[in-house]
Amino acid sequence: MKKLIAAGAAGIALAVHLGISQAQSLKGEYKLGVLEPLTGNLAVQGKLHLEGYEIMRDLINSRFGGVMGRKLVLVVGDAPDPTAAGSEATRLATREGVKIITGTFSSILCGAASEAAARQSVIYWETSCVDPRFTRRGLKNVFRTEIDGVGFGWYNIEFIAKYLAPRLGKKPSELRIAFLSEDSSYGQGTTEAARARAKEFGMQEVALEYYTFTTNDLTPVILKLKDAKPDILHHIARDQDAILFWRQAREQNLEVKAVVHAGATGYGNPGFGKALGNEANGPFALSEPGPGFLIDKLQPEGQKIEHAFREALKAKTGSDVPAGGHQLAAGGLWLLKLALDAAKTDELDKFRAAVLKMDLPVGSLMNGWGAKFEDSGQNSNERVQHYMLQWQNGELVSVWPEQLTSKRAKWIPLGPWNQRK
Amino acid sequence: MRVVNFAHGEFLMLGMYAAFWAFTLLHADPYVTLVVAAPLFFLVGWGSYALIMRPIVHTSHNVQVFTTVGLSIVLQNLALVLWTGDARFVRTSYYTSVISVGGAVLNFAQAVAFLLAVAATAALFAFMRWSYTGKLMRATAQDRAAAALMGINTDRIFALTWAVGITLVGAAGVLLAPVYAVYPTAGLQFVLIAYIAVVLGGLGDMVGALIAALIVAAVEVIGSYTIGTAWKEVLYLVLFIAILVVRPAGLFGQRGSEAIGA
Repeated sequence: MKKLIAAGAAGIALAVHLGISQAQSLKGEYKLGVLEPLTGNLAVQGKLHLEGYEIMRDLINSRFGGVMGRKLVLVVGDAPDPTAAGSEATRLATREGVKIITGTFSSILCGAASEAAARQSVIYWETSCVDPRFTRRGLKNVFRTEIDGVGFGWYNIEFIAKYLAPRLGKKPSELRIAFLSEDSSYGQGTTEAARARAKEFGMQEVALEYYTFTTNDLTPVILKLKDAKPDILHHIARDQDAILFWRQAREQNLEVKAVVHAGATGYGNPGFGKALGNEANGPFALSEPGPGFLIDKLQPEGQKIEHAFREALKAKTGSDVPAGGHQLAAGGLWLLKLALDAAKTDELDKFRAAVLKMDLPVGSLMNGWGAKFEDSGQNSNERVQHYMLQWQNGELVSVWPEQLTSKRAKWIPLGPWNQRK
Repeated sequence: MRVVNFAHGEFLMLGMYAAFWAFTLLHADPYVTLVVAAPLFFLVGWGSYALIMRPIVHTSHNVQVFTTVGLSIVLQNLALVLWTGDARFVRTSYYTSVISVGGAVLNFAQAVAFLLAVAATAALFAFMRWSYTGKLMRATAQDRAAAALMGINTDRIFALTWAVGITLVGAAGVLLAPVYAVYPTAGLQFVLIAYIAVVLGGLGDMVGALIAALIVAAVEVIGSYTIGTAWKEVLYLVLFIAILVVRPAGLFGQRGSEAIGA
């Protein structure tokens, strides 16, 4: 027993020593600007993203040689709204002297923040917002590691046509689909992409409704949906609107065969399950991988960083199940480290050349992502592997693609509200 | 008092949190919490008047607007620091209960909130119209100097009026907690529409505000259903502007009533 304890202690000492010596070998600091909404009504997600960045920063410094051999330091700005996002981006560039800014969770923030960064000739490395316009403005300083809204729409309809339709005993062209969305660029971008893709499959669009996400009543739209009788409801929600809709849909007994969402917000937000418990059972949310994810199906380098991140997350939060915000931020920061290490500089032209040269297959990065950036600065949607998750008894679990998860989808079709157990 | 309180939504949010914590920690039903929360919010109102409003109640409207907006931001961020931005939910045993009236389906807690709101409005109306203190309040609102000359302690009346307002909005928060998610900015979604109802009804006219609130709700719901959800804010704001063009004092207000406290 004593030998076992001694061996354990030696192991811990060695691990600590390796960590410390790794950190001590870093020469100087590298300051990276981070912009997230840390106050206001987007703060929940903003804080999750910041936590993801911080865990990955510590991991990079302690186990992966920092960035360009230097210790990575984050300089954080609060961006609760577009005006603050622009002014904080300017402050980070001019007062803090950062050459790269990363952020910003929301599609309402990333446009303003990256415009301000462009004016200061600072690189903008977006890890989360999905507004399709973000990389379509001809700006050479913007890059996005995450899929865009078009990709969200594409994946969702792919899932509906190839996974749900056969299980509902219908051809895709026989499906009646209703589109409901909050009206920001994230909701509109995703919904319009999904509508276009649904048309290619010949799906029957029976309703299209946009609303403001701060609304406090969705009953009228639920009554319209009852009249339209869709099989599938494609609902892009952003915040508490998902909870409100779900509760009111139950009150009005709206019955559809499946509800499909995209993103770490709305149905993809852990708050949805916390608020509703088992009442949340059933809806799907396209997001980063959740419980059930088979990490050993990734490339070896993907497995290594995924395991390392989950261990670090558990040490910090007590849970090794990351939230979507953690995964987007940490996955994006890891990719930035690889780009900086390859470029060996943050000078825009050389950095951009190094980013565009990256060619990593699906499964080589965190979240099972790969990387192949387009000239616009967008990581190609095909490389940003995404996963369909489903709320099952208080947990948002990965259910698709089936070869990458041990869990399976339930309640297809959804069935009566009181039988989703 | 002629003070527009831009922090009203945040006091509503505090009422929602009061219901949430009482439910979570003490398993107290929101309707039980209401009995305790109402006097508690009266004290909160009296305290906030003494600390924040008393020094600025006689200053210009600009100072009052900036002060109450500042108070709103402070309360929001205080809630964010204390309770995080996570949405909380008061899931009572009747959380999924509905009431069917004709073909309409109403959430039970929402129906109770509506009935109690109507009852509170009627009680406040009666208090203002027939009670001695209500008369003192109206007299002070009509002419502060004359009221003081008649021996009314106007500072005390201001404090009481403010505290009654905070009591009612705190109670509203408790009643809304079983219906909506509770989070630091939860009050914001109600402030604009409440302000529209008050102005549309005629400033200072309680019955007018109640009727205007019903009109706004009807326009919102019928418009959403028939024209489109995206249009609902547009519809009631267009109605709001149109009515103010024709009747600048609101539907039931008399021109200049806001200045004489009628």
